[in-house]
Amino acid sequence: MRHDFIDRYSRIESPIHALDPRAKAAAFFALIIICVSTPNSDWWAFVIYATLVLVVLFASGVPLRYFFSRLLIVLPFILLVCIFLPFMHKGGGQVSLGPISLSKEGLLMMRAILLKSLISVSCLILLSSTTQFADLLHGLEKLYVPRFLTTVSAFMYRYLFLLVDEAQRIARARDSRNYKGKWIWQVKTTGYIVATLFLRSQERAERVYQAMVSRGFEGEFPRWTEIRMRVYDYAFAVLFIGGAIIGRMVRPWS
Amino acid sequence: MHIPDGFLDPKVWGTASGVSAGFTAYALYAVKEKLNEKVIPLLGITAAFIFAAQMLNFPVAGGTSGHFLGAMLACTLLGPLQGFLVMVIVLLVQCLFFADGGLTALGANVFNMGIVGGLFSYMIFIYIKALIARISGEKRALLISAAICSWLSVVIASAVCAVELALSGTIPLSVALPAMVSVHALIGIGEAAITTVVLAVVTQARPDLVHAMKLRLPAGQEV
Repeated sequence: MRHDFIDRYSRIESPIHALDPRAKAAAFFALIIICVSTPNSDWWAFVIYATLVLVVLFASGVPLRYFFSRLLIVLPFILLVCIFLPFMHKGGGQVSLGPISLSKEGLLMMRAILLKSLISVSCLILLSSTTQFADLLHGLEKLYVPRFLTTVSAFMYRYLFLLVDEAQRIARARDSRNYKGKWIWQVKTTGYIVATLFLRSQERAERVYQAMVSRGFEGEFPRWTEIRMRVYDYAFAVLFIGGAIIGRMVRPWS
Repeated sequence: MHIPDGFLDPKVWGTASGVSAGFTAYALYAVKEKLNEKVIPLLGITAAFIFAAQMLNFPVAGGTSGHFLGAMLACTLLGPLQGFLVMVIVLLVQCLFFADGGLTALGANVFNMGIVGGLFSYMIFIYIKALIARISGEKRALLISAAICSWLSVVIASAVCAVELALSGTIPLSVALPAMVSVHALIGIGEAAITTVVLAVVTQARPDLVHAMKLRLPAGQEV
């Protein structure tokens, strides 16, 4: 796994990257909550939300190709469920498409759920690709997320890629010995891999702890710079959330 | 089983978020004195381990695959509350940084995979283990009950997930429940096998790392 895949573009410079992590977190979280609580038939609201997301995407300078490649990773599950929705619901009249007939209510729901999940996922992708991990955690800490959770998350993130690489190395060694897992009774091999991974991770944790203590670790990470909410940050949050609220309230054609 | 945003309606995700936040706050409070600077790297790296283990797909049948959940494993290895906290952190990081599982659905995901799949299954595990320990050895009781409960944890977590989707009016229960439960009954076999193999290997190599080995029922409680 590429170590910098998730936050590869979180260090570039742009008006969005320069924002305080709290302003970004508050704005995106608010948009997600407003978006998922929008009634299914308000298509106009979704257009406004999507516009907000796209404006931030273009202002952030995060390459579109990268943005969509991350969207593609989570898309299959959402699509899989959405495709079946028009068949599972009955009501609101039928739309016939050649030999099959679909329920209008189901189609409406499919459109709404698809848009809601895509807009929410886009918000999360934009947040993580315009904010460095440590800054975001620090911002969340300032927003009263318990310090224990943020510090442990910081450790998790730091060692995540190492352990994923280790897992993939072991899996590669297994495959090079002609393992072709096809049936469930071959799952024992995966069990041994997970066990090895666990033992190695615990021994690594002991080493890491000793190394951290010998360098003066006392349970939290010191920071070089303090984050600060400026007028610019407040303005962004207010405009962004205000835009979303207006989109939620105003219904020109319904 | 990670529910994305948009699949749950406000009453479901609101309730689930409240319950999960309450459990998390309680777990943080209950293990507070144990949360010194030594435990922080340990839990962080264990969370990274669960994440890495979840990326290993295992075969189910004829080329389809499922992936490991790890909630029961985390609870048996670390103890229920710390295992639960590890699952909370795994889900939090997956949501915020990998967009895997939604933000508004985070509470529901913690409820399904941490509370139902972790804490609740672990409670059943304690009693089943005590029952089996009467007729066989301690270690065999551990492995058998872990196998039963890790299968159960995946199945009931998926059933609760289906109920949440149905309560939100997204997928009717008559479709969601059979589909989720039948798929996860199969995946659960893999989960059970992996959990058991891991516990067997770890109790052999480093018995000091297995919390459930030290487990006894509280005094006065009989099964």
